[in-house]
Amino acid sequence: MSDIPGGPMMNRPVHFIWLIDCSYSMQGEKIGQLNYAIREAVPEMLSVAQDNPAAQLLLRTMTFSTTARWHHKDPVPVEQFTWQDVQVDGMTNLGEALQLAARELDTPPMPQRALKPVLALVSDGVPTDDWKAGLRAVDATPWGRKAVRVAIAIGADADRNVLQEFLGNPELQPLDANSPKQLAAAIRWASTAAVKAASQPVAGFADVTVKQPPYAPPVLDDDDDDVW
Amino acid sequence: MRTHGPLPLWDTLHGSVQGVNKTRNQDHYDVEGLGSAGQPLIMAVADGHGSAVHARSHLGSRFAVDLFVQQARQFAALAEPRGELRPPSLAWLMNYAQYTLPRQLVSAWQEKALGHWARTSSHEEPALSPPDKLVLYGSTLVGAVLTPRVFAAWQLGDGELTVVTDDGQVTVPLAPDEADLGDETESLCSPQAWLRVRTHWAPVTTPARAPRLVSLTTDGLSKSFASDSGFRQFMAGLDDRLSAEGAECVRAVLPEWLAKASQHSGDDTTLVAAWHTATAPAGPAAPAGPAAPAGPAGAAAPAEPAGPPEPAARTPEPADISDMTDPYRSE
Repeated sequence: MSDIPGGPMMNRPVHFIWLIDCSYSMQGEKIGQLNYAIREAVPEMLSVAQDNPAAQLLLRTMTFSTTARWHHKDPVPVEQFTWQDVQVDGMTNLGEALQLAARELDTPPMPQRALKPVLALVSDGVPTDDWKAGLRAVDATPWGRKAVRVAIAIGADADRNVLQEFLGNPELQPLDANSPKQLAAAIRWASTAAVKAASQPVAGFADVTVKQPPYAPPVLDDDDDDVW
Repeated sequence: MRTHGPLPLWDTLHGSVQGVNKTRNQDHYDVEGLGSAGQPLIMAVADGHGSAVHARSHLGSRFAVDLFVQQARQFAALAEPRGELRPPSLAWLMNYAQYTLPRQLVSAWQEKALGHWARTSSHEEPALSPPDKLVLYGSTLVGAVLTPRVFAAWQLGDGELTVVTDDGQVTVPLAPDEADLGDETESLCSPQAWLRVRTHWAPVTTPARAPRLVSLTTDGLSKSFASDSGFRQFMAGLDDRLSAEGAECVRAVLPEWLAKASQHSGDDTTLVAAWHTATAPAGPAAPAGPAAPAGPAGAAAPAEPAGPPEPAARTPEPADISDMTDPYRSE
């Protein structure tokens, strides 16, 4: 008698997509610290996922330089996710990366039944292609419009205006990472707070009135000697 | 005065479980009555949004249910007046259900929430505008009233009104054309929320063909299933279990079912349901005359609440909508 009627039950997925700038300007310490920071953040993402058992956290990574390509094309459950270091390559074709991501944010392939996806953009430079067209493509998809977006600006040369437009919300700011310590903190924050935000219910028109988004970036300490 | 045929009697079951890792259950529900003229069946569930920006939504959902019950009692009293009072026309009642009740409900909810804020907030708390205060209390609502004459229901935001028809068909008459993605929902705290209320209007012209199961649920149940069809299968199964094994058996396992659903949706999960158990002797009711066609009918409230209702694909056309100001106009 106690067996529940109905079809199969299932947790809802949270698709988390890293969009990582691998242009030449990231060469050296920046890319090394980025690889280190994301690898170190994975256990914290796993912890967040375990705190929210109703959400199934699925990770993907895309890199962009002269071309955009999937580093992890298929969604990987966070429990099975291992970070593979990314390498620098050439230009900063953010627009191509956003176009590629947009294809995954349509339904299908993205299921209708899901929690909001997370788009986490990390960049240190100025896009070298038509990034606005890419952003329009993301905004044209149902899940792209709903996505929780976070942006990390590495170093002083990062184009904060581009990252601000990517966020699409004047009340959100890109998170500045001007040192290895700040980058690690920013990656840690993006990995966890954004996932929490994606799985919280909100009133549909809350953006009109909510002044403190739940995933507003923290203020990061700036006491590192090694500044980019 | 004419009488209806045999009147349906309803039995009810209800349950609510707290979501995994939630600090409190932000759902609220209520159910009362039998579906008779003197004791209309009233059911409501509300789902407080629960996140940090809706910190008082557990209160908002309680206000929503309590105020809906008050509004529903008024509506039922209009539909089934006592004594020799003449009942209003179905056209007038439909207009009331589609426009007047949602506006009164939202207005009362906002007044209640703002009043609560004024009584309980301290001077240390930041000054908030009225819309900001309402966001703190944000909640959805699904409510229904069944009388011998009318079955009406209202929905704002997510959740489900499910109706199993007399021939066993499972319908979700207030499901939006396009479901909100993620966990976003319309809310009582949305600007002009009364315009977002969806209304189900189904006059009971043939009591023997009244629905055999009516269920109101918060989205913690439907979102636990891998697909929409899984949720409908659940409702069909609930109907089967009630028919085959009776209410007590289902009541005994309902908390277990809701808890399992909550583990998958992660959300507070609430179900209130009423099903036909028997028929009762005929009672006093509406005057003779053609009624609007029976059956499910849902329509979102159009932008302008005053005046005659807009024709909608699933809304029955009243006999005459030329004068909505006279509730006692003959049908």
